[in-house]
Amino acid sequence: MTHTLHRRGSARSLSEDYVILILKAIGINDEGNAPKVQEFLRIALRHKPVNIGSALKGGMIDKPEEVINIANNIGHAVFDNPEAVTAFLKELKQANLGLSIVVSGIFEKVDECLDKAGLKHHTANFSLGIWGRTDKLPGDDILEITTMCGHALISPNLVKEMARAIKAGTKTPEEAAKILMPQCTCGVFNPTRAARLLANIAEKGEIV
Amino acid sequence: MRIDGDICIACEACLPYCPMEAISMQNGIAVIEQDECVDCGVCLKSGVCPVDGIIFEVSPWPRSLRVAFSDPTTKHKETSAGGRGTDEMKTNDVTARYKWGWVGMGCEFGRPGIGTRFRDIEKAAQVLAKHGAAFEPNNPVTFLMEDTQTGKLKEEALNEKVLSAIIECMFPIEKFKEVIDALKVVSEEVDTVFSVACINRADPDGSYPLRKMLDKMGIPYYINGKQNVGLGRPLANFLGGD
Repeated sequence: MTHTLHRRGSARSLSEDYVILILKAIGINDEGNAPKVQEFLRIALRHKPVNIGSALKGGMIDKPEEVINIANNIGHAVFDNPEAVTAFLKELKQANLGLSIVVSGIFEKVDECLDKAGLKHHTANFSLGIWGRTDKLPGDDILEITTMCGHALISPNLVKEMARAIKAGTKTPEEAAKILMPQCTCGVFNPTRAARLLANIAEKGEIV
Repeated sequence: MRIDGDICIACEACLPYCPMEAISMQNGIAVIEQDECVDCGVCLKSGVCPVDGIIFEVSPWPRSLRVAFSDPTTKHKETSAGGRGTDEMKTNDVTARYKWGWVGMGCEFGRPGIGTRFRDIEKAAQVLAKHGAAFEPNNPVTFLMEDTQTGKLKEEALNEKVLSAIIECMFPIEKFKEVIDALKVVSEEVDTVFSVACINRADPDGSYPLRKMLDKMGIPYYINGKQNVGLGRPLANFLGGD
């Protein structure tokens, strides 16, 4: 379950992409967590996340109560700025929910947020990138969007179709990102970042 | 997954949704190529078919592996966990699974978005086993091993295709270079991609010994990653009554 690792992009683009998750440890603290996960999501909503999700329902930032109602053992919140991450982490520390909290993002930026929130990193997961038949991969501009769903449920062809629709003027980048978002069932997709990336693809030449 | 040819209206709306490009138009209807389909359910769950012509039917073993590994909303029978691996470092503040002096590794075959057959996963598992890696017992790929000492997978699983599957293992940090060198060889022998993740516990001063090693060895790694921030209540507290 490395689903928020391996997100690709430039430092500038990734500086607008942070995922925070709460989860239980199987066999240790995996009972009675719904109130804690729901509290996590309610605190997150106070800091204007761009997406929230549970393990089963994502991409429903417009209907947060539906996500909160089914949240059980895992919760996710996605932010597009480090200030919100810091403020969220401060509140999480005070809430003392007792479950594990993991922050995904640029190490340097996340460490600054942790420092301001009075927290320290405990364990890291580093990505050593993609190995093997990389010639089979779509272009980096597509991967930057598809890797925001770590389970690879967002098809490169759907991304291209959305970019074509933006280019043709039948969809705005935000509308296109909103179509991609629910494909990621965990809710770790960042629609704000995706809209910017889609607009960039659409501005380029032919989309193949 | 399959499409009911009797009701398909050939609108082609489902085609771009398939992460495996397994849907195509044949004789005027949309058809899913069964050997390439990984049963992830994206086409069905997208709700894009205007006539509800996309159908999922439970498959017997070994095809049942496809949905178990490809649809993250499905739980593996053996581990009770959803997704494709375990909680790995995400709960390390509670479980203390990854201790100082050790490196955890996750090689996710098929990711991002290419898919993989288990025969390619077996190639890497066998190499990792040769170099003494200890496989994570609760990982679903480990459950497919006939022998965790050799990394050999069950024969009938080898041709099954999934969106991705993760080999999770652990070894002393001193073996890191040896393991990485062996993986480089594997990367030239497989017919898919794999994403490599390495886990390390921070030292008391906040530094990561693995990062120092990566820098020293000149191995590139992403500027972004995941960090457990230590807010989970440690297992020791549960055992001690907290």
